[in-house]
Amino acid sequence: MQLNLQAKPGKVAAPSLVHRESFWHKVSKSRVLLLMCFPAILFFFLFSYLPMPGAYIAFTKFNYNKGIFGSPFIGWKNFQFLFGNGQLLLLLRNTVFYNLVFILLGNFLQVLLAILLNEVQSKWFKKTAQSMMFLPYFISDVLVSLLVYNLINYDYGFVSNMVRTAGGVMPKYYSMPGAWPFIIVLVNLWKGTGYGTVIYFAAITGIDTSMLEAARVDGANGFQRIRYILLPCLKPTVVIMLLFAMGGIVKGNFGLFYNLVGNNSLLFNTTDIIETYVYRALMNNFNFSQGSAVGLFQSVVGFAIVMIANGVVKRIEPEYSLF
Amino acid sequence: MEPKMNFHPTKVKIDGADRLIRGFTYVFVGIFAVMCIIPFWMIIASSFSTEAAIRRTGFTLWPTSFSTYSYDLIFRSPAQLIGAYVVTVVMTIIGTSVGLFIISMTGYALQRKDFPFRNGISFYIYFTSLFSAGLVPFYYLMVKVYGLKDSYWAVLLPLLMSPWLIILMKNYVKAIPHEITESGKIDGAGDFRIFWSLIVPSMTPALATIGLFLALGYWNEWYYSSLFLGSQVTYRPLQYWLYNLINKVAALKNSLAATQLVLDDLPSETLKMATATLATGPIILLYPFVQKYFVAGLTVGAVKG
Amino acid sequence: MAKKLVSLLVALAMVLCLIPAMAETAETTDYSSWFPGVDTSEHVVLTFLVTGNIPTNKTNDVLKVFNEKLTKAINAEIQIEWIEWTDWQTKYNLALAMQDGTVDLVGTATDWLDAWPNSKNGAFLPLSEDMLKTYCPKTYASVTPEHWNLCKYDGQIYLIPEDNYAQWTNHGFLYRGDWAKEAGLTNGVNSWEDLGTYFQYIKDNKPDVIPWDADGSGSSYSDQMFGGWISSKTGGINIEGFSAPLFFGKSTTDPYTLSTFYTEGDDLVNFAKLMKQWADAGYWREDVLNYTGDQKAELEEGLSGAQQHHTQTWKTERYLMEQKQPGSDVGFFWFGKESNTLVSLNITHGALAIAAQSDAPERALMAYDLIRNDQTFYRLFNYGIEGQQYIIDANGYMARPDTYKDDTVDGMSFDYWWGRNDALELRSALTDWPAYDKLMEEYNAVKIDYPYGQVVFNTDDISAELDNLSNVFRTYAPVITFGKEDDPEAYVAEFRQALKDAGIDKVMENVQAQIDAVYKK
Repeated sequence: MQLNLQAKPGKVAAPSLVHRESFWHKVSKSRVLLLMCFPAILFFFLFSYLPMPGAYIAFTKFNYNKGIFGSPFIGWKNFQFLFGNGQLLLLLRNTVFYNLVFILLGNFLQVLLAILLNEVQSKWFKKTAQSMMFLPYFISDVLVSLLVYNLINYDYGFVSNMVRTAGGVMPKYYSMPGAWPFIIVLVNLWKGTGYGTVIYFAAITGIDTSMLEAARVDGANGFQRIRYILLPCLKPTVVIMLLFAMGGIVKGNFGLFYNLVGNNSLLFNTTDIIETYVYRALMNNFNFSQGSAVGLFQSVVGFAIVMIANGVVKRIEPEYSLF
Repeated sequence: MEPKMNFHPTKVKIDGADRLIRGFTYVFVGIFAVMCIIPFWMIIASSFSTEAAIRRTGFTLWPTSFSTYSYDLIFRSPAQLIGAYVVTVVMTIIGTSVGLFIISMTGYALQRKDFPFRNGISFYIYFTSLFSAGLVPFYYLMVKVYGLKDSYWAVLLPLLMSPWLIILMKNYVKAIPHEITESGKIDGAGDFRIFWSLIVPSMTPALATIGLFLALGYWNEWYYSSLFLGSQVTYRPLQYWLYNLINKVAALKNSLAATQLVLDDLPSETLKMATATLATGPIILLYPFVQKYFVAGLTVGAVKG
Repeated sequence: MAKKLVSLLVALAMVLCLIPAMAETAETTDYSSWFPGVDTSEHVVLTFLVTGNIPTNKTNDVLKVFNEKLTKAINAEIQIEWIEWTDWQTKYNLALAMQDGTVDLVGTATDWLDAWPNSKNGAFLPLSEDMLKTYCPKTYASVTPEHWNLCKYDGQIYLIPEDNYAQWTNHGFLYRGDWAKEAGLTNGVNSWEDLGTYFQYIKDNKPDVIPWDADGSGSSYSDQMFGGWISSKTGGINIEGFSAPLFFGKSTTDPYTLSTFYTEGDDLVNFAKLMKQWADAGYWREDVLNYTGDQKAELEEGLSGAQQHHTQTWKTERYLMEQKQPGSDVGFFWFGKESNTLVSLNITHGALAIAAQSDAPERALMAYDLIRNDQTFYRLFNYGIEGQQYIIDANGYMARPDTYKDDTVDGMSFDYWWGRNDALELRSALTDWPAYDKLMEEYNAVKIDYPYGQVVFNTDDISAELDNLSNVFRTYAPVITFGKEDDPEAYVAEFRQALKDAGIDKVMENVQAQIDAVYKK
């Protein structure tokens, strides 16, 4: 599908050159490209790599006066509260489950909407619909939870009133843990779809139109065009998005969950993720080291998962891998 | 070299499949779009309601009793609001332009197959999205080593780019035909020249998308503002101003602080709504503006011709 | 000649009479005798770490005037570093952790601002007696040695307590006296059962009112309701310093034995049963656990019949309610009334500390001493500028001037909860003093001092268990508090089992041992 030529990296000289020279040779040949990457390299060095040794704080009993590296080392003690309470499995299950659904369902919906919108002729409809779909992204999680409460609370909710006037019985959603996976997924989709659709819409717009024209002239109908041209063109983007999301599979969206569920422990079984649990545990017992320990745990797990996933993708289709 | 629009409806027959797809789209997307706008509408409507009405009837699509009290309250000291707007807009513009430039440069370089270091650098960048040292080391670095406490740079710099945006950009640039670079090389242009004169004009949708995401990131940001902009800073970004208002209530009710402090002057519901409306305001208009850049850039045909 | 002499003498006499008067109305501008021998030649800017949102009213104007006077007095000025409410715990702790000399004075509290953990973690400067004598003389003299002992960790003083300020933040229920009388409670609400009667009356007779429109999403309700039941029905006393209210002393007569309320007995079951009864009767919303309303505002608008909070709140609310709902006669049912269990606030509920790496600790202490003990500075820091934020009326009470329209524009506040002083307090005209004094009589008759001030708990060995116990509490307590379980007895059994699994026995042993080490020598 790609029209790229498979250019070989770097070396033009004869293979008899010494190894060391060929490295510098590579550098000098691609010096402009290197320079173009330099601002990004510097940025990440300054803001992401330099702080990394500070992760040591997860293994200390942090003393404000002595600083991170002067504080006493206590090994795995900061991790105990997370591992030793029997809840970790439940939390991991919830965190991963929600993330998987968000990623898979979310991306599916976004791709679907991008393709559909592309088919539509009316520019007005496209523009207006996309702008409207974008709006939920701007509403902060606190307001979202307020809106949801106003809709479905049993006594005075908007939906409850309508159901009662129609003669029905309103379920007590805030006491039903089983309903919340659906509610949270719906809210997350509602909030994030507009934003994500843009990604795929941009990819579609970038597709070489002469290809699409040729297809039309050849008599391909809508479905065929989608299946044989649009979808394959979107595949790299989808794979990249999925792969990237894998890295954050054990990191939850604290704002969303905490605001929707709050302190309603009836729902914790199906809605508690690692972040909300940690927040409650450390709420009146503030502790930097323990918070860092959890973050470290999530990073390590995410890293392992991504390495595996990227390895798999590299074997199947090297072009689609992240690195 | 003119940009081409998608289809030529008058020339090609619209068949049944197309009609079906289109019909489905109108219904499906239409419903979804309406579902998106109603809650937003409710927020705006509630901001114009009296507090008492909200307490009695909750949120409605139209205020049962109209009042602009919350807006009056906010506009009584407009300096804060205006300052917040100015700070946010300036930061968004500067951050987005600089960030977009760097990201597109990097994205282009990383997808060049003849760039021997691309995998290494890609991994270097991507790794930072997996591992974070946490808040304390980062804060320490920013405040004590870089000296950025109470400085707007502490908010602007960290948001300039992210691994996700760079990878996304790299992905978009990959779809641009390699011929363009090749033809540039044949003409003897250097890599940067190729990038600037040939590639950039072809990647308008990508630039628009990444630019939009960057701008949104700046507009919605409150976290770094909360951490780094202390009392010596007069004007703080919009979202942070809104969050402070809302969080005062939450903070005082959820901690043991609630047991000690007297909970007076908590912001009312309508005040929260009014602040939310004002804090979102103009950015909604950005997207339609950006929309028009979602057209195909240079096509292969144009280059070949 | 004689006439001239007489008039001269008269004039002199008049002038002499005026001098004392002038001295009385003139402000003390000479503070050199306050801090004898201290060198104040270098101008210092002190940073005061305080929790609160950056003010948009007249607070900064007041600060300017304050700083002018402070400069004249000790050649220093104060800059407030506000820790705003968004993510406040993180920011407060980060500010302390940076230790780069940018923070001098720190407002802290043992109950909600982790004063002891922070002291242990090296955030604060140990204050030697000499330091306090020299730079904080009046405060040092006014705090008794017994009280200084309660501010020590490892033999060093870290906190300056707000110990001369009668603040009652014991919790209970505010209720409307007028409705209580209608309900047949002629003496007001004096027990949990009375409260039930009161709620039922509202439910039956006032269709637009929710008896107690609680915003159950606030997690602190569980703490207060549990604590309230325990003190009312068992006489237990809350032991501060733990993230969940699981540790209580048995009673005022036996405070050093831990109460077994959570592990055995019927009291917890009775509590769960009553709350379920109330929930089923509809005294609060069905979805109370996610409701984020404002119970105070609703009480004021007549939409709710009660507000659960503390005495200080009642003090201001009663007056306010008379204006908003005339005749409401708001009363206060304080938890513990049934068993006469009342504990004075721990003296370190609000305290001042100096940051460990402050570069001007001496001057910081001096500034604090002035704020706490000098009338001019006290009034500026607490009430504002006379004539702008307050005036003193004919009765000597503090009232608002006519130019004062709105708190958000004309008001001021430094959120100063770290060193108020009854000797300098002004009574506000916006309070029903007779009612308040009557309640104070009731309190003073039965109160005891906080019994656990001497022990600073070491939680290193039990920190993982405490985190998990805290989580168990936060899981079960809200449900019990608002009666959302199906079967109270079974649920309480489950709760107790979960506590056991999280290690409550081990922790209770540990805590008891620590208490015994200090008090049962």
